[in-house]
Amino acid sequence: MDNLETRLVKLALKGDQRAFAEIVDLYKDRIFHLAYRMLSNRHEAEDVVQETFLRVYRNLDRYDPGQKFSTWIYRIGTNLSIDRLRKRKPTYSLDAEIGDQDGADGYALIPGDNRTPETEYMISETRTTIHEAIDGLPPKYKTVMILRYLQELSLQEISDVLDMPVTTIKTRVHRGREFLRKKLESQQH
Amino acid sequence: MECKQAVSLMHDYLDGDLLSEQANELKSHLEACPDCRAAFRRLEETEMMLFAANRKSESVAVSEDMTDRIMSFLPQPKKHSPAWSWVRRHPALTAAAAFILIMLGTSIGFWNADTQLVVRGSDLNRVQVEGNTVIVPEGTIVSGDLTVERGELKIYGDVEGNVTVIDGSAYQASTAHVAGQVKDINQAFDWVWYKLSNIVSEVAYR
Ligand SMILES: [Zn+2]
Repeated sequence: MDNLETRLVKLALKGDQRAFAEIVDLYKDRIFHLAYRMLSNRHEAEDVVQETFLRVYRNLDRYDPGQKFSTWIYRIGTNLSIDRLRKRKPTYSLDAEIGDQDGADGYALIPGDNRTPETEYMISETRTTIHEAIDGLPPKYKTVMILRYLQELSLQEISDVLDMPVTTIKTRVHRGREFLRKKLESQQH
Repeated sequence: MECKQAVSLMHDYLDGDLLSEQANELKSHLEACPDCRAAFRRLEETEMMLFAANRKSESVAVSEDMTDRIMSFLPQPKKHSPAWSWVRRHPALTAAAAFILIMLGTSIGFWNADTQLVVRGSDLNRVQVEGNTVIVPEGTIVSGDLTVERGELKIYGDVEGNVTVIDGSAYQASTAHVAGQVKDINQAFDWVWYKLSNIVSEVAYR
């Protein structure tokens, strides 16, 4: 995996456009989902994707092959998302409400395999609760929760991406998890 | 062990880094404390649902043309060989120099100077470049001439001038329309001839 990326970076540095397109293909979905969860807005998430790859392209010569490529690109994507989140903070909750939310994008309409409508409803309720709870978190918790549960990065990887000690990441995951547990409990009662 | 410490161990357990000694302590606390047992079960559920909810919701996908979009707005790397830019800056001098080069039999070296794809034209922001392939997409009108060296040219749209492919190949789809001539140059000799005549006409127009 890492070998492939290092090779692609080398080729791209030599001006091979195909190699760079390959890098884009490998990571565009992951960066998009990350940004989409962070920003709850498709348009903005796509902007982040474009900006991320533009930065990757411009700074390709500064990429250190000793570092995992995924860590490097996640760092760029995460920082861009956090920047946007901070900038719009005053209108944040309003944005989240009118932005294109999951329901509007239709995932709740995807039929399950052979679930009853009640189960289906409960699952989609839970999902909504989780997404809303994560959306409402302050950026520093939100980022960690998204990297952990959406991107499924390890605590060590998150610590590399955010350039923070792993103990800090752990504390944030623990608090985030407790927060979610309470939200889910209140949903059940 | 206090309940507070037990909860902290539960989180470590979920993070996958609980030492076996701590695991035993936690286990004996859970056996003795129903509150913590319930809390543990809920935390495990939460952890599971967090992964599940995020995994299943990703039916929201990035636009299909994202890769193309990104590739099209990247700053184009400089691909003209130094020799060719010199030729462009000094057409008259080059014409004379090129004749001498041919006389000296070094034209092959000159021809080999470019090893990568080169695209020339006056309306290049309308064409797409993917690796070694230059594409004129369907519905796109490229004004003026289009020249591709060392690459594949695929035309689906319109080119309002001449199309020249040097040491490469040209493909025209049924939707393609080229107003001028389509020239395919693959020989070293043709190449020199082409550059010379190009220079001569450039000189003539100045
Ligand atoms: Zn207890």
